[in-house]
This record gives sequence, structure tokens and C-alpha cells, in this order.
Amino acid sequence: MVLLSAPRWLRSRLSDRFWRVQEVLKYARHFRGRKNRCYKLAVRSVRRAFVKSTKARKEKKRLLRALWITRIEAASLEHGLKYPAFISNLLKSQVELNRKMLADLAIYEPKTFKSLAALAQRRRQEGFLAALGDGKEPEGIFSRIVHHY
Amino acid sequence: MAAAAAARRRAAAFLFSSAVRHQSSQSTAAQEGLVAKTSLTSPPWPEVKLPDPAEEAKYHAEVVQKVNNMIAAGQYGRLFAVVHFASKQWKITSEDLIMMDNVLEAECGDRIRMEKVLLVGADDFTLIGRPLLGKELVRVEATVIEKTESWPKINMRFWKRHNYQRKKKQTLKR
Repeated sequence: MVLLSAPRWLRSRLSDRFWRVQEVLKYARHFRGRKNRCYKLAVRSVRRAFVKSTKARKEKKRLLRALWITRIEAASLEHGLKYPAFISNLLKSQVELNRKMLADLAIYEPKTFKSLAALAQRRRQEGFLAALGDGKEPEGIFSRIVHHY
Repeated sequence: MAAAAAARRRAAAFLFSSAVRHQSSQSTAAQEGLVAKTSLTSPPWPEVKLPDPAEEAKYHAEVVQKVNNMIAAGQYGRLFAVVHFASKQWKITSEDLIMMDNVLEAECGDRIRMEKVLLVGADDFTLIGRPLLGKELVRVEATVIEKTESWPKINMRFWKRHNYQRKKKQTLKR
């Protein structure tokens, strides 16, 4: 209602206090103790609950990634590979599956995961051989160690 | 005595040089006689031998032929695919439900084709894309069932003793 003069404003009191209180209490109904009934305690608890949930949304991403990494590590150790070797060799073979997918495949598609582990192992061995080279000296090098043939 | 001194010098030389030296020292030692196997005769990593490339190429061709025959004959049961969609990767089969946090320019009931397929697997074979599989090879289709909004998520920030609190409601389109 429109209160047209100052005396009317000063004499006005809240008429929808019940609904304002219920707006807060509805989020606290499943809490334990008096904070699910008493507004003063509920306000503080609900505020903390909201802040914790906003922060937890960021933490959830970190936690889930750590969980996936643990699962992939366990599965790749079953196939004789360590996690860093597995992931790096998969990326070098241009397989762009992310950790969520690899963890799901390790749980629900074991044969596919085994083939991925074999692929990573083969790429690892090829990498080692490429790094070792021929095993011969480069030409034109005059080394200081003398052989007596 | 001279032979023993030469062998010792060669063993000491191996300490300074890398495995590149290893072959030359072994060949000269084999010419002299048998040398005992020490911890430094071979490198500490296990020796890796790849199979013969020609035989391997034959084996690969056989496997590919088998898989192609299986696909042509339709001898696969349920297929699953790993698809990159809405900036996430999903593992999907037929009759699967997906919920994505995004707006699609399709109406409810439209058929959608998902083109970025990373992996396709059946019971007996898997096709791994590097990184994607060809569009002629796999076809993944889906139907848009509903377009809704999420429940109002609340973002709240609060600093104690500083009289600072902000509350915002966020509804995502799903």
C-alpha cells in the first residue's frame, strides 16, 4: 500500500515478517538441533551453509580429478605401467581421452583399458629406442680415450 | 699383466663414458677372452627389442582385416562411444540419457549428430581415434528430449566481522 505522509510511514510495521523468516528457515529444515527452528541461530547456519557450498563447488573439481588419477594409477599398475608413463605416452600417441574417461573405461571397459595400456607401453619402448640411438659413436669425433687393438 | 691392466683401464673408461662405449669394450674383451659380467657390463635399464617390422606389418594387416570383416558382417553386440560434446567427454551407448549445461539451437524432438568421436568399442574390438575418428566411420545420433532450467543455485560470499555478504541466485539452462 502507498503510504503518502511521514506520520503514516513512522507508524508502519512489518506485515510479512512470517514469510521473510520462512525464506531463511526453509533452507535450515534438515539441520540438527535448534538451528532448524530458531531464526537467530538458523540465519548464521544457513549463511555458513551457502558459503561452504559455493567454495565446495570449486573444490569438487579438484577432488574428482584426484580421484580419477588414483583410479587410473591403480588400473595401469595392474597392467605393469606407472601413471606418469601411461598418461605421457598416451598423449604422445595423440589419444586425447581425459582422466574422467580413462577412469570410467578402467572400471567398465577393462579390455579397452588393456589395449590402451599396451599402446602406451609400445610408445614408451619406441621412445627409449629413439633416445638411445644406434649405440655407435658420431663420426669425426676424436675421443681422448685410446684403444689398444 | 698388460692384458689385466688394459681390461682395468677399459672398465674405468666405461665409468666415464656412456653406453656408447659398451659395444667396443665388449668386442675387444671377447677377442681377448671371456670377461666376467659385472654390474657395469650392461646398462642398468632392461634391453628393449621391438618385433620385426615386416612381420609386424603383416600381423597388423591381418588384425585390421579381421576387424573389418566383423564390422561388415555386423558381428558386434552393443557399441559404446566416447564423444566430446559441450566441452566434456561422455561415454555413451544406445538408450543413454545425457544432461548438459548449455543452450543448444535445436528444438525438443530434433535429431542431433555428434561428430567428435574419440573412441568406439564393442565386445571384441575397439577403434581408438588419434585423436578423433573419421566421420564416415562412426555415426552417433541423439534426440533432444527437454530443455529446462536448473534449480536456483545460491552463490554466497561472506567475510566475518567486516559486514560483507553477497548473495546471488544462479539458474543454469539445461
